[in-house]
Amino acid sequence: MSFGDVLASIQSSSLSHAIAESNHMLVAGLQIVHVFGFIFLLAPLILIALRVLGLVLRDQPLESLVNQSKKLSLAGLVLSLASGVLMFLSAPMHYYANWAFDTKMLLLVAALAIYGLLFLWVAPRGSAHPSMAKLNVSLSLILWIAVCMAGRAIGFV
Amino acid sequence: MSTLLAMAEKLEQTGIGTAIAEGRYAFPVIEGIHLIGLSMAVGLILLIDLRLLGAFLPDVSVKALHRQLQPYVFAGFAIVILAGVLLFVCEASVVIVSPPWPFKMFFLVLGGANALYFEFITSRRPEALPDHGPLPGNVRYAGFASFALWVLVIVCGRLIPYIPHWA
Repeated sequence: MSFGDVLASIQSSSLSHAIAESNHMLVAGLQIVHVFGFIFLLAPLILIALRVLGLVLRDQPLESLVNQSKKLSLAGLVLSLASGVLMFLSAPMHYYANWAFDTKMLLLVAALAIYGLLFLWVAPRGSAHPSMAKLNVSLSLILWIAVCMAGRAIGFV
Repeated sequence: MSTLLAMAEKLEQTGIGTAIAEGRYAFPVIEGIHLIGLSMAVGLILLIDLRLLGAFLPDVSVKALHRQLQPYVFAGFAIVILAGVLLFVCEASVVIVSPPWPFKMFFLVLGGANALYFEFITSRRPEALPDHGPLPGNVRYAGFASFALWVLVIVCGRLIPYIPHWA
């Protein structure tokens, strides 16, 4: 079974039909959840980036700030991923054929990997290697902004 | 209403309006910038609200968080408002007839008024923002009101393309 067949069978599933044929307000609701997920993911990163650059909360250890931001970032990620997956399931063939969507997915994988490294590896060593922390938050910010821009383009290409 | 609509159409026909509408990617790029500015301005405000409610960074001084984040909240607002005005200019006649739009503007004004009241009155009272221990009830209430109002602004904003007309 090829990848195209997998997408076709998802598209013909009852869950896919249920989302696609429901009131368009369900899609609007998913879009709203998707936006809030992104905001709750990006806002803690902006705060952490400002801290890493020494612009705010200088007396707060980076590791503690990152640890305390974990729950909120994860909640944001879960909200945006769950709503995004449901939107994708409603029309997988349509999304897959869209180059902005494909670009967004590649950027998303990179953003998740780099941002994940911040929590798992960089933050505990941040005070010993400040330039590593700066590199990580800069890359994370750039990648998440790129994910957002590619996402906005999906409806326009 | 018809004069408003005529004004809106005139706005769309200005140089900026047509330039954005005709550029293939100008519109989604500005929408993306609107969302980034929003995540900075409202995102940071929501973090402060969660701190006021005791749900985020309990060990960080409220006073420090509130004061130090302020310039970045303003920078975010400059971005989101500039991008928002550009989006409005090129789609004014579509936006003003969309029911969620006046609600968005209403909640935006309330959110701004709530923030100003907190800034100049509530937070300046002695002992309003103690570094440790529970915050006074009116401070927590201000955080809750802010959180709710900004969430409503975003919900109404995202609904604009989905509810284009009154019934």
